[in-house]
Amino acid sequence: MSEPVNIRLLDPGTRIVLDDGATAEIVSNPLDGVWLFARYLTAPDDPARVGSEEMIFAQDVVEIQDGP
Amino acid sequence: MTDARSLGYRRGLVDLAAGRISREIFVNEEIYREELERLFARAWLFVGHESQIPKPGDFFVSGMGEESVILCRDRTGKVHVFLNSCRHRGMKVCRYDEGTTPVFTCPYHGWSYGTDGKLVGVPYFREAYHEKLDKSLWGLIEVPQLCLYKGTVWASWDPMAPPFLEYLGDFVGYLDLTLDGWDGSEGGTEILGGIQKWLIPCNWKFPAENFCGDSYHNISHRSVDLVGIGPSGSGRRDMQERQMARRLHVAFYERGHQTGVYLFPKDQPMPPSYQHSPVVAEYFAHCEAERRKKRGEWARVIGSPGEIFPNTALHPRQPRTIAVWHPRGPHQTEVWRWYLVDASAPPEVKDFLRDYYIRYSGPAGMTEQDDMENWNYAHAASRGTIARRYPYSYEQGLGFETERYEWQGLHIPGTVMDITEAKSSEHNLRNLYRRWAEFMEAESWDELATWRFARAAE
Repeated sequence: MSEPVNIRLLDPGTRIVLDDGATAEIVSNPLDGVWLFARYLTAPDDPARVGSEEMIFAQDVVEIQDGP
Repeated sequence: MTDARSLGYRRGLVDLAAGRISREIFVNEEIYREELERLFARAWLFVGHESQIPKPGDFFVSGMGEESVILCRDRTGKVHVFLNSCRHRGMKVCRYDEGTTPVFTCPYHGWSYGTDGKLVGVPYFREAYHEKLDKSLWGLIEVPQLCLYKGTVWASWDPMAPPFLEYLGDFVGYLDLTLDGWDGSEGGTEILGGIQKWLIPCNWKFPAENFCGDSYHNISHRSVDLVGIGPSGSGRRDMQERQMARRLHVAFYERGHQTGVYLFPKDQPMPPSYQHSPVVAEYFAHCEAERRKKRGEWARVIGSPGEIFPNTALHPRQPRTIAVWHPRGPHQTEVWRWYLVDASAPPEVKDFLRDYYIRYSGPAGMTEQDDMENWNYAHAASRGTIARRYPYSYEQGLGFETERYEWQGLHIPGTVMDITEAKSSEHNLRNLYRRWAEFMEAESWDELATWRFARAAE
Protein backbone atom coordinates (compact mmCIF):
# COMPACT_ATOMS: atom_id res chain seq x y z
CA MET A 1 0.00 0.00 0.00
CA SER A 2 1.45 3.39 -0.99
CA GLU A 3 2.00 6.26 1.45
CA PRO A 4 -0.88 8.80 1.56
CA VAL A 5 -0.25 11.88 -0.57
CA ASN A 6 -0.43 15.22 1.19
CA ILE A 7 -2.52 17.01 -1.40
CA ARG A 8 -2.15 20.36 0.35
CA LEU A 9 1.40 20.48 -1.04
CA LEU A 10 0.38 19.99 -4.68
CA ASP A 11 0.51 22.96 -7.03
CA PRO A 12 -1.58 23.54 -10.15
CA GLY A 13 0.00 21.71 -13.09
CA THR A 14 1.00 18.70 -11.00
CA ARG A 15 -0.08 15.40 -12.52
CA ILE A 16 -1.64 12.79 -10.27
CA VAL A 17 -2.56 9.11 -10.53
CA LEU A 18 -5.96 8.06 -9.17
CA ASP A 19 -6.94 4.74 -7.63
CA ASP A 20 -8.95 3.66 -10.68
CA GLY A 21 -5.85 4.07 -12.87
CA ALA A 22 -6.91 7.42 -14.33
CA THR A 23 -4.50 10.37 -14.46
CA ALA A 24 -5.29 14.04 -14.06
CA GLU A 25 -3.65 17.45 -13.97
CA ILE A 26 -4.37 19.78 -11.08
CA VAL A 27 -6.14 22.97 -12.13
CA SER A 28 -6.48 24.53 -8.67
CA ASN A 29 -6.05 23.54 -5.07
CA PRO A 30 -8.45 24.94 -2.43
CA LEU A 31 -5.93 23.79 0.22
CA ASP A 32 -8.60 22.17 2.38
CA GLY A 33 -6.72 18.84 2.35
CA VAL A 34 -9.80 17.08 1.04
CA TRP A 35 -10.34 18.16 -2.57
CA LEU A 36 -8.45 19.11 -5.73
CA PHE A 37 -9.84 20.57 -8.93
CA ALA A 38 -8.26 18.58 -11.77
CA ARG A 39 -8.65 17.80 -15.47
CA TYR A 40 -8.63 14.17 -16.56
CA LEU A 41 -5.78 13.21 -18.88
CA THR A 42 -6.58 9.50 -19.10
CA ALA A 43 -9.48 7.44 -17.81
CA PRO A 44 -9.25 3.75 -18.70
CA ASP A 45 -12.60 2.93 -17.06
CA ASP A 46 -14.50 5.81 -18.63
CA PRO A 47 -12.74 7.49 -21.59
CA ALA A 48 -15.55 10.06 -21.81
CA ARG A 49 -14.11 11.77 -18.74
CA VAL A 50 -10.86 12.68 -20.49
CA GLY A 51 -10.65 16.47 -20.76
CA SER A 52 -13.37 17.10 -18.17
CA GLU A 53 -12.64 19.02 -15.00
CA GLU A 54 -13.83 17.49 -11.74
CA MET A 55 -13.28 17.67 -8.03
CA ILE A 56 -10.94 14.88 -6.97
CA PHE A 57 -11.22 13.45 -3.45
CA ALA A 58 -7.93 13.24 -1.54
CA GLN A 59 -8.30 9.53 -0.83
CA ASP A 60 -8.57 8.81 -4.56
CA VAL A 61 -5.09 10.25 -5.18
CA VAL A 62 -2.64 7.34 -5.23
CA GLU A 63 0.57 9.04 -6.27
CA ILE A 64 2.18 11.93 -8.07
CA GLN A 65 3.05 11.13 -11.66
CA ASP A 66 6.72 11.54 -12.47
CA GLY A 67 7.90 13.34 -15.57
CA PRO A 68 5.88 15.03 -18.31
CA MET B 1 -39.38 25.37 37.97
CA THR B 2 -41.91 28.03 37.10
CA ASP B 3 -44.30 27.16 34.28
CA ALA B 4 -43.69 30.25 32.19
CA ARG B 5 -46.49 29.72 29.70
CA SER B 6 -49.14 29.29 32.36
CA LEU B 7 -48.01 32.44 34.15
CA GLY B 8 -48.36 34.46 30.98
CA TYR B 9 -45.48 36.62 29.83
CA ARG B 10 -47.27 39.92 29.81
CA ARG B 11 -49.42 39.65 32.90
CA GLY B 12 -47.36 37.43 35.14
CA LEU B 13 -43.72 37.90 34.29
CA VAL B 14 -43.61 41.29 32.56
CA ASP B 15 -46.04 43.57 34.36
CA LEU B 16 -45.55 46.89 32.60
CA ALA B 17 -48.55 48.55 34.23
CA ALA B 18 -46.91 48.11 37.61
CA GLY B 19 -43.35 48.39 36.27
CA ARG B 20 -42.27 44.99 37.58
CA ILE B 21 -40.46 42.20 35.80
CA SER B 22 -39.85 38.76 37.20
CA ARG B 23 -36.27 37.57 37.60
CA GLU B 24 -37.41 34.30 36.05
CA ILE B 25 -37.09 35.72 32.54
CA PHE B 26 -33.35 36.14 33.14
CA VAL B 27 -32.53 32.83 34.81
CA ASN B 28 -35.18 30.27 33.84
CA GLU B 29 -33.94 27.48 31.52
CA GLU B 30 -37.39 26.84 30.04
CA ILE B 31 -37.90 30.50 29.18
CA TYR B 32 -34.46 30.62 27.61
CA ARG B 33 -35.25 27.64 25.35
CA GLU B 34 -38.42 29.37 24.28
CA GLU B 35 -36.54 32.60 23.51
CA LEU B 36 -34.37 30.76 21.00
CA GLU B 37 -37.45 29.66 19.09
CA ARG B 38 -39.68 32.69 19.47
CA LEU B 39 -37.14 35.54 19.33
CA PHE B 40 -33.94 34.45 17.68
CA ALA B 41 -35.56 32.29 15.00
CA ARG B 42 -38.03 35.05 14.06
CA ALA B 43 -36.42 38.46 14.50
CA TRP B 44 -33.92 40.27 12.28
CA LEU B 45 -30.37 39.83 13.58
CA PHE B 46 -27.15 41.66 12.77
CA VAL B 47 -24.64 39.40 11.01
CA GLY B 48 -21.74 41.58 9.88
CA HIS B 49 -20.49 44.31 7.60
CA GLU B 50 -19.83 44.17 3.89
CA SER B 51 -16.36 45.65 4.39
CA GLN B 52 -15.46 42.35 6.07
CA ILE B 53 -16.04 40.45 2.81
CA PRO B 54 -14.99 42.82 0.01
CA LYS B 55 -13.90 40.21 -2.58
CA PRO B 56 -15.51 37.09 -4.09
CA GLY B 57 -14.70 34.10 -1.88
CA ASP B 58 -14.32 36.21 1.28
CA PHE B 59 -16.11 34.91 4.35
CA PHE B 60 -16.70 35.82 7.99
CA VAL B 61 -18.10 33.33 10.48
CA SER B 62 -20.80 35.02 12.53
CA GLY B 63 -23.68 33.92 14.75
CA MET B 64 -27.46 34.10 14.89
CA GLY B 65 -28.81 33.20 18.30
CA GLU B 66 -26.82 30.15 19.42
CA GLU B 67 -26.03 29.09 15.87
CA SER B 68 -22.91 29.59 13.81
CA VAL B 69 -23.44 31.10 10.37
CA ILE B 70 -21.18 31.90 7.46
CA LEU B 71 -21.39 35.35 5.89
CA CYS B 72 -19.74 35.11 2.48
CA ARG B 73 -19.52 36.60 -0.97
CA ASP B 74 -19.81 34.10 -3.81
CA ARG B 75 -17.91 34.06 -7.10
CA THR B 76 -20.41 36.41 -8.69
CA GLY B 77 -20.19 38.91 -5.83
CA LYS B 78 -23.55 38.01 -4.25
CA VAL B 79 -23.70 38.03 -0.43
CA HIS B 80 -25.05 34.95 1.39
CA VAL B 81 -25.60 33.83 4.97
CA PHE B 82 -25.53 30.06 5.55
CA LEU B 83 -25.93 27.85 8.59
CA ASN B 84 -22.41 26.64 9.36
CA SER B 85 -23.36 22.98 9.49
CA CYS B 86 -22.81 20.18 6.99
CA ARG B 87 -26.02 18.66 5.65
CA HIS B 88 -24.54 15.15 5.96
CA ARG B 89 -23.75 14.91 9.71
CA GLY B 90 -23.83 18.50 10.94
CA MET B 91 -20.10 19.18 11.35
CA LYS B 92 -19.07 22.83 10.98
CA VAL B 93 -17.95 23.31 7.41
CA CYS B 94 -15.93 26.39 8.36
CA ARG B 95 -13.84 26.56 11.52
CA TYR B 96 -11.91 29.74 10.73
CA ASP B 97 -13.04 33.16 11.92
CA GLU B 98 -12.59 34.73 8.48
CA GLY B 99 -10.70 34.29 5.24
CA THR B 100 -11.01 33.59 1.53
CA THR B 101 -11.91 30.25 -0.01
CA PRO B 102 -13.36 28.70 -3.16
CA VAL B 103 -15.18 25.98 -1.16
CA PHE B 104 -16.33 25.11 2.36
CA THR B 105 -15.30 21.53 3.00
CA CYS B 106 -16.57 19.43 5.87
CA PRO B 107 -13.59 17.78 7.56
CA TYR B 108 -15.72 14.85 8.82
CA HIS B 109 -16.68 12.99 5.61
CA GLY B 110 -15.59 15.51 3.00
CA TRP B 111 -18.82 16.98 1.63
CA SER B 112 -17.89 20.28 0.01
CA TYR B 113 -19.92 23.38 -0.81
CA GLY B 114 -19.35 26.30 -3.14
CA THR B 115 -19.50 29.86 -1.83
CA ASP B 116 -23.02 29.98 -3.30
CA GLY B 117 -23.97 27.16 -0.91
CA LYS B 118 -24.36 24.47 -3.57
CA LEU B 119 -23.14 20.97 -2.73
CA VAL B 120 -20.29 20.46 -5.20
CA GLY B 121 -18.18 17.66 -3.76
CA VAL B 122 -19.40 14.29 -2.43
CA PRO B 123 -16.73 11.65 -1.82
CA TYR B 124 -17.43 8.40 -3.68
CA PHE B 125 -20.36 9.97 -5.49
CA ARG B 126 -20.04 7.45 -8.29
CA GLU B 127 -19.02 4.41 -6.27
CA ALA B 128 -21.01 4.67 -3.03
CA TYR B 129 -23.97 6.78 -4.09
CA HIS B 130 -24.11 5.34 -7.64
CA GLU B 131 -24.68 8.96 -8.73
CA LYS B 132 -28.19 8.74 -7.22
CA LEU B 133 -27.79 11.49 -4.58
CA ASP B 134 -29.60 14.65 -5.73
CA LYS B 135 -26.97 17.26 -4.85
CA SER B 136 -29.39 20.10 -5.53
CA LEU B 137 -31.37 19.08 -2.42
CA TRP B 138 -28.39 19.09 -0.08
CA GLY B 139 -26.85 22.55 -0.31
CA LEU B 140 -26.02 24.61 2.78
CA ILE B 141 -29.06 25.95 4.60
CA GLU B 142 -29.44 29.60 3.67
CA VAL B 143 -31.33 32.28 5.56
CA PRO B 144 -34.64 32.95 3.80
CA GLN B 145 -34.28 36.71 4.33
CA LEU B 146 -31.19 38.85 4.01
CA CYS B 147 -30.81 42.62 3.86
CA LEU B 148 -27.78 44.75 3.06
CA TYR B 149 -28.21 48.21 4.50
CA LYS B 150 -25.52 50.90 4.27
CA GLY B 151 -22.79 48.28 4.54
CA THR B 152 -24.38 46.27 7.34
CA VAL B 153 -25.72 42.75 6.80
CA TRP B 154 -28.90 41.58 8.55
CA ALA B 155 -30.72 38.27 8.35
CA SER B 156 -33.81 36.50 9.65
CA TRP B 157 -34.59 32.79 9.76
CA ASP B 158 -38.30 33.56 9.41
CA PRO B 159 -39.57 33.81 5.83
CA MET B 160 -42.72 35.47 7.18
CA ALA B 161 -40.91 38.29 9.00
CA PRO B 162 -41.53 41.72 7.46
CA PRO B 163 -38.70 43.08 5.29
CA PHE B 164 -35.89 44.62 7.34
CA LEU B 165 -36.74 48.24 6.61
CA GLU B 166 -40.36 47.63 7.56
CA TYR B 167 -39.13 45.87 10.71
CA LEU B 168 -37.22 49.08 11.54
CA GLY B 169 -39.97 51.53 10.62
CA ASP B 170 -39.04 55.14 11.35
CA PHE B 171 -36.30 53.89 13.66
CA VAL B 172 -34.13 53.70 10.55
CA GLY B 173 -33.31 57.39 11.08
CA TYR B 174 -31.70 56.50 14.40
CA LEU B 175 -29.79 53.55 12.93
CA ASP B 176 -28.43 55.97 10.35
CA LEU B 177 -26.79 57.96 13.14
CA THR B 178 -24.43 54.98 13.46
CA LEU B 179 -24.11 54.05 9.80
CA ASP B 180 -23.86 57.36 7.96
CA GLY B 181 -20.64 59.27 7.50
CA TRP B 182 -19.82 61.72 10.27
CA ASP B 183 -20.21 64.50 7.73
CA GLY B 184 -23.80 63.41 7.04
CA SER B 185 -23.09 61.55 3.81
CA GLU B 186 -25.09 58.35 3.17
CA GLY B 187 -23.32 55.26 4.50
CA GLY B 188 -19.57 55.13 4.05
CA THR B 189 -18.51 53.36 7.24
CA GLU B 190 -16.02 50.52 7.46
CA ILE B 191 -14.97 48.15 10.21
CA LEU B 192 -11.88 49.21 12.10
CA GLY B 193 -9.63 46.33 13.12
CA GLY B 194 -10.94 42.95 14.19
CA ILE B 195 -14.11 41.96 15.99
CA GLN B 196 -13.80 41.81 19.76
CA LYS B 197 -15.43 38.69 21.26
CA TRP B 198 -15.75 37.75 24.89
CA LEU B 199 -17.92 35.86 27.35
CA ILE B 200 -19.85 37.32 30.28
CA PRO B 201 -21.53 35.14 32.91
CA CYS B 202 -24.95 36.76 32.65
CA ASN B 203 -28.17 36.50 30.69
CA TRP B 204 -28.06 38.30 27.31
CA LYS B 205 -30.84 40.70 28.39
CA PHE B 206 -28.65 42.39 31.01
CA PRO B 207 -26.40 44.04 28.40
CA ALA B 208 -29.35 44.44 26.02
CA GLU B 209 -31.36 46.53 28.49
CA ASN B 210 -28.27 48.47 29.49
CA PHE B 211 -27.76 49.62 25.90
CA CYS B 212 -31.44 50.51 25.46
CA GLY B 213 -30.73 53.71 27.32
CA ASP B 214 -30.05 52.90 30.94
CA SER B 215 -28.74 56.31 31.92
CA TYR B 216 -29.37 55.46 35.58
CA HIS B 217 -26.21 53.37 35.79
CA ASN B 218 -23.79 56.22 35.04
CA ILE B 219 -22.66 56.13 38.66
CA SER B 220 -20.91 52.86 37.73
CA HIS B 221 -18.62 54.81 35.42
CA ARG B 222 -17.80 57.51 37.91
CA SER B 223 -14.28 56.21 38.43
CA VAL B 224 -13.61 56.20 34.68
CA ASP B 225 -14.93 59.73 34.40
CA LEU B 226 -12.59 60.75 37.21
CA VAL B 227 -9.61 59.12 35.51
CA GLY B 228 -10.45 60.99 32.30
CA ILE B 229 -9.89 58.46 29.53
CA GLY B 230 -11.75 60.67 27.05
CA PRO B 231 -9.98 62.36 24.16
CA SER B 232 -11.15 65.88 24.93
CA GLY B 233 -8.79 66.93 27.67
CA SER B 234 -10.56 65.91 30.85
CA GLY B 235 -13.63 64.03 32.04
CA ARG B 236 -16.21 62.88 29.55
CA ARG B 237 -15.65 63.74 25.90
CA ASP B 238 -19.28 64.70 25.43
CA MET B 239 -19.93 66.64 28.66
CA GLN B 240 -20.35 70.02 26.95
CA GLU B 241 -22.74 68.52 24.42
CA ARG B 242 -24.79 66.92 27.17
CA GLN B 243 -25.11 70.13 29.12
CA MET B 244 -26.61 72.19 26.30
CA ALA B 245 -28.89 69.57 24.70
CA ARG B 246 -32.26 68.06 25.61
CA ARG B 247 -31.70 64.47 26.68
CA LEU B 248 -34.36 62.13 25.31
CA HIS B 249 -35.26 58.47 25.54
CA VAL B 250 -37.06 57.35 22.39
CA ALA B 251 -39.01 54.10 22.10
CA PHE B 252 -40.90 52.47 19.23
CA TYR B 253 -43.71 50.55 20.89
CA GLU B 254 -44.75 48.46 17.91
CA ARG B 255 -41.21 47.47 16.95
CA GLY B 256 -39.30 47.10 20.21
CA HIS B 257 -36.43 49.36 19.15
CA GLN B 258 -35.25 52.20 21.37
CA THR B 259 -32.45 54.68 21.79
CA GLY B 260 -31.23 57.69 23.65
CA VAL B 261 -30.60 60.92 21.74
CA TYR B 262 -29.37 64.43 22.46
CA LEU B 263 -31.36 67.18 20.80
CA PHE B 264 -29.40 70.36 20.25
CA PRO B 265 -30.94 73.84 20.45
CA LYS B 266 -31.69 75.47 17.13
CA ASP B 267 -28.72 77.31 15.61
CA GLN B 268 -26.39 76.26 18.40
CA PRO B 269 -22.84 75.37 17.24
CA MET B 270 -21.35 72.08 18.38
CA PRO B 271 -18.79 72.57 21.16
CA PRO B 272 -15.22 71.53 20.40
CA SER B 273 -14.00 68.06 21.25
CA TYR B 274 -10.95 65.81 20.69
CA GLN B 275 -8.68 68.60 21.84
CA HIS B 276 -5.96 66.04 22.55
CA SER B 277 -5.28 65.85 18.83
CA PRO B 278 -5.50 68.94 16.58
CA VAL B 279 -5.81 66.77 13.45
CA VAL B 280 -8.71 64.81 14.89
CA ALA B 281 -10.37 67.89 16.37
CA GLU B 282 -10.23 69.63 13.00
CA TYR B 283 -11.59 66.57 11.20
CA PHE B 284 -14.63 66.32 13.44
CA ALA B 285 -15.26 70.07 13.43
CA HIS B 286 -15.24 69.98 9.63
CA CYS B 287 -17.57 66.96 9.57
CA GLU B 288 -20.02 68.60 11.98
CA ALA B 289 -20.23 71.67 9.74
CA GLU B 290 -20.84 69.47 6.69
CA ARG B 291 -23.42 67.40 8.52
CA ARG B 292 -25.44 70.48 9.36
CA LYS B 293 -25.44 71.54 5.73
CA LYS B 294 -26.53 68.11 4.49
CA ARG B 295 -29.03 67.13 7.17
CA GLY B 296 -30.56 70.46 8.12
CA GLU B 297 -32.68 70.35 11.28
CA TRP B 298 -32.15 66.59 11.75
CA ALA B 299 -28.44 67.37 12.33
CA ARG B 300 -29.52 68.68 15.73
CA VAL B 301 -30.13 65.03 16.72
CA ILE B 302 -27.03 63.41 18.19
CA GLY B 303 -26.93 59.68 18.80
CA SER B 304 -26.64 57.87 22.09
CA PRO B 305 -26.76 54.13 22.90
CA GLY B 306 -29.74 52.23 21.53
CA GLU B 307 -30.94 48.78 20.65
CA ILE B 308 -32.54 47.16 17.65
CA PHE B 309 -34.75 44.38 18.95
CA PRO B 310 -33.75 41.93 20.17
CA ASN B 311 -29.97 41.86 20.57
CA THR B 312 -28.17 44.43 18.40
CA ALA B 313 -26.79 47.39 20.31
CA LEU B 314 -25.90 50.69 18.70
CA HIS B 315 -23.31 53.06 20.09
CA PRO B 316 -23.31 55.84 17.52
CA ARG B 317 -21.42 58.64 19.19
CA GLN B 318 -17.84 57.48 19.80
CA PRO B 319 -16.76 54.86 20.26
CA ARG B 320 -18.96 54.18 17.25
CA THR B 321 -19.77 50.51 17.55
CA ILE B 322 -22.31 47.80 16.93
CA ALA B 323 -22.51 45.03 19.52
CA VAL B 324 -24.41 41.77 19.40
CA TRP B 325 -25.41 39.95 22.59
CA HIS B 326 -25.26 36.31 21.51
CA PRO B 327 -27.16 34.02 23.90
CA ARG B 328 -25.03 31.15 25.19
CA GLY B 329 -27.46 29.54 27.56
CA PRO B 330 -29.52 31.42 30.17
CA HIS B 331 -26.47 32.18 32.25
CA GLN B 332 -23.92 33.28 29.66
CA THR B 333 -23.61 35.87 26.89
CA GLU B 334 -21.00 36.07 24.16
CA VAL B 335 -20.45 39.67 23.15
CA TRP B 336 -19.22 40.56 19.68
CA ARG B 337 -18.34 44.17 19.06
CA TRP B 338 -17.68 45.79 15.69
CA TYR B 339 -15.94 49.19 15.59
CA LEU B 340 -16.86 51.60 12.82
CA VAL B 341 -15.14 54.58 11.32
CA ASP B 342 -15.68 56.71 8.26
CA ALA B 343 -13.94 54.85 5.44
CA SER B 344 -12.78 58.21 4.10
CA ALA B 345 -11.30 59.44 7.42
CA PRO B 346 -7.56 60.27 7.40
CA PRO B 347 -5.24 57.58 8.81
CA GLU B 348 -4.40 59.80 11.82
CA VAL B 349 -8.08 59.91 12.75
CA LYS B 350 -8.49 56.14 12.41
CA ASP B 351 -5.39 55.50 14.53
CA PHE B 352 -6.56 57.94 17.18
CA LEU B 353 -10.00 56.35 17.31
CA ARG B 354 -8.57 52.84 17.47
CA ASP B 355 -6.67 53.77 20.64
CA TYR B 356 -9.71 55.49 22.13
CA TYR B 357 -12.06 52.61 21.28
CA ILE B 358 -9.74 50.05 22.87
CA ARG B 359 -9.43 51.90 26.15
CA TYR B 360 -13.17 52.61 26.30
CA SER B 361 -14.96 49.45 25.07
CA GLY B 362 -14.50 45.71 24.97
CA PRO B 363 -13.12 43.30 27.56
CA ALA B 364 -10.11 45.54 28.24
CA GLY B 365 -11.95 48.83 27.92
CA MET B 366 -12.35 50.65 31.19
CA THR B 367 -16.00 51.62 30.69
CA GLU B 368 -17.19 48.21 29.57
CA GLN B 369 -15.37 46.54 32.48
CA ASP B 370 -17.59 48.50 34.85
CA ASP B 371 -20.70 47.25 33.09
CA MET B 372 -19.57 43.65 33.08
CA GLU B 373 -19.02 43.71 36.82
CA ASN B 374 -22.63 44.78 37.30
CA TRP B 375 -24.22 42.28 34.89
CA ASN B 376 -22.11 39.41 36.19
CA TYR B 377 -23.01 39.87 39.85
CA ALA B 378 -26.61 40.95 39.23
CA HIS B 379 -27.21 37.73 37.34
CA ALA B 380 -25.48 35.55 39.92
CA ALA B 381 -27.47 37.15 42.73
CA SER B 382 -30.77 36.56 40.92
CA ARG B 383 -30.47 32.80 40.36
CA GLY B 384 -31.27 31.59 43.86
CA THR B 385 -34.56 30.10 44.97
CA ILE B 386 -35.33 33.03 47.25
CA ALA B 387 -34.04 35.71 44.89
CA ARG B 388 -36.31 34.50 42.09
CA ARG B 389 -39.40 35.24 44.15
CA TYR B 390 -38.80 38.99 44.02
CA PRO B 391 -39.24 41.03 40.82
CA TYR B 392 -37.04 43.86 39.57
CA SER B 393 -38.40 47.39 39.56
CA TYR B 394 -38.91 49.21 36.25
CA GLU B 395 -41.14 51.99 37.55
CA GLN B 396 -38.91 54.97 36.80
CA GLY B 397 -40.80 57.62 34.85
CA LEU B 398 -43.82 55.38 34.32
CA GLY B 399 -46.62 57.45 32.79
CA PHE B 400 -44.50 60.47 31.82
CA GLU B 401 -44.03 59.58 28.16
CA THR B 402 -44.93 61.91 25.31
CA GLU B 403 -46.49 60.62 22.10
CA ARG B 404 -45.71 63.60 19.87
CA TYR B 405 -42.55 65.25 21.09
CA GLU B 406 -41.36 68.46 19.49
CA TRP B 407 -38.76 70.98 20.57
CA GLN B 408 -37.84 74.20 18.83
CA GLY B 409 -39.52 73.12 15.62
CA LEU B 410 -38.18 69.58 15.34
CA HIS B 411 -40.47 66.57 15.77
CA ILE B 412 -38.81 63.45 17.19
CA PRO B 413 -40.26 60.15 15.84
CA GLY B 414 -41.20 57.59 18.48
CA THR B 415 -42.61 57.78 22.00
CA VAL B 416 -40.35 60.11 23.93
CA MET B 417 -39.35 60.59 27.53
CA ASP B 418 -37.56 63.91 28.08
CA ILE B 419 -35.06 63.24 30.84
CA THR B 420 -33.29 66.59 30.73
CA GLU B 421 -34.64 67.50 34.14
CA ALA B 422 -35.65 64.01 35.30
CA LYS B 423 -32.07 62.83 34.60
CA SER B 424 -33.14 59.25 34.00
CA SER B 425 -36.00 56.95 33.07
CA GLU B 426 -36.69 53.28 32.44
CA HIS B 427 -38.98 54.07 29.52
CA ASN B 428 -36.75 52.37 26.95
CA LEU B 429 -36.13 49.34 29.15
CA ARG B 430 -39.86 48.81 29.54
CA ASN B 431 -40.16 48.97 25.76
CA LEU B 432 -37.60 46.20 25.33
CA TYR B 433 -39.56 43.92 27.62
CA ARG B 434 -42.91 44.93 26.12
CA ARG B 435 -41.71 43.66 22.77
CA TRP B 436 -39.99 40.68 24.35
CA ALA B 437 -43.29 39.60 25.92
CA GLU B 438 -45.14 40.10 22.64
CA PHE B 439 -42.65 37.91 20.78
CA MET B 440 -42.84 35.26 23.48
CA GLU B 441 -46.63 35.11 23.28
CA ALA B 442 -47.33 35.67 19.59
CA GLU B 443 -47.83 32.62 17.43
CA SER B 444 -47.13 34.43 14.15
CA TRP B 445 -46.15 37.71 12.52
CA ASP B 446 -49.84 38.41 12.04
CA GLU B 447 -49.89 39.24 15.74
CA LEU B 448 -46.52 41.00 15.81
CA ALA B 449 -46.78 43.35 12.81
CA THR B 450 -49.49 45.45 14.44
CA TRP B 451 -48.59 48.54 12.39
CA ARG B 452 -50.07 46.73 9.39
CA PHE B 453 -53.49 46.66 11.05
CA ALA B 454 -53.38 50.40 11.65
CA ARG B 455 -52.46 51.01 8.02
CA ALA B 456 -55.21 48.71 6.80
CA ALA B 457 -57.75 50.47 9.04
CA GLU B 458 -56.78 53.81 7.56
